[in-house]
Amino acid sequence: MVLTCPVAMGRTTRLDGSSELSRRAVLRAGALLALGGAAVPLTSCGLLDRDEQPPQPDALTPLIDEALRLAAGLRAAATAHPELTDRLVPLAESHEAHAAELTRVVGGPTATPSGSAVSPSSAPSADRSATLTALRQSERAGRDAATRACATAPAERAALLGSVAAARATHLEALR
Amino acid sequence: MSAEVLAGALTAEYAAIWAYGPIGVRLSGAERKAAAEAEAAHRSRRDALVVQLSTGGGTVPPDRAGYALPFPVTDRASALRLAVEVEERTAAFWRAALPASTGAERDRALAALTEYAVRATRWRRSAGITPLTVPFPGRPA
Repeated sequence: MVLTCPVAMGRTTRLDGSSELSRRAVLRAGALLALGGAAVPLTSCGLLDRDEQPPQPDALTPLIDEALRLAAGLRAAATAHPELTDRLVPLAESHEAHAAELTRVVGGPTATPSGSAVSPSSAPSADRSATLTALRQSERAGRDAATRACATAPAERAALLGSVAAARATHLEALR
Repeated sequence: MSAEVLAGALTAEYAAIWAYGPIGVRLSGAERKAAAEAEAAHRSRRDALVVQLSTGGGTVPPDRAGYALPFPVTDRASALRLAVEVEERTAAFWRAALPASTGAERDRALAALTEYAVRATRWRRSAGITPLTVPFPGRPA
């Protein structure tokens, strides 16, 4: 209703300047409508939803996700190649210990990994040597990520991240 | 990095270099070569720490004539066990250096922690110790 009237005026008085005014009127009306439209949901949800806003993800969150992914990859490989269980499971347990400790440092349940079920990035190969090669590749990438995180971390996180980086390097060695 | 942290790491490196003497004589072949390489790595970090401490105007703690071993080294098995322990202990000093450092200093401390942790894993494999790894290398037990 509001929109149709000025448009009609603009058509009829194209040259006398009043069309400019009417266009501003259209814009003002539109702006008021937009505000009015937005005002309803803003007032209705503002106070209630503020507490549920997720906080900025912590810089350590990707490392926690990666630790759980590495653990899942090792466990899947141990299932596919039971003769490797004694070698692979202690490494998986280390990654899980890292995830738990990093989560504790980040603080609170909001820091838990984004995915509810963590699965390895790919299924283990039926070939044992190919499986170990893939695991080494993942550990190497993990070591490099933890090394980078340690380099720039605040002092209170540096020692933990250093241990995570060093542990991933020892995994690489243990998978040779 | 504080002189205290550097001095702690230096004292650990002195002891590691000393320990590889009795370790090396109980090993042969590839293991003796690995011991010589490990000792060289500790010497090189010792030298860098001495330079860093003296140019920084700090006191360089003196090396000692001998260090007490945690257990007697009488054969290959005890030599390998001591080698594991030497690497774990020196790794702990470099881990302690991480919060006390930034930038290139922290990179060097992390490189030392990582190198010694990997060496400990290799020695565990030689010694037949399982698991080959620990969850938090360098963390005090």
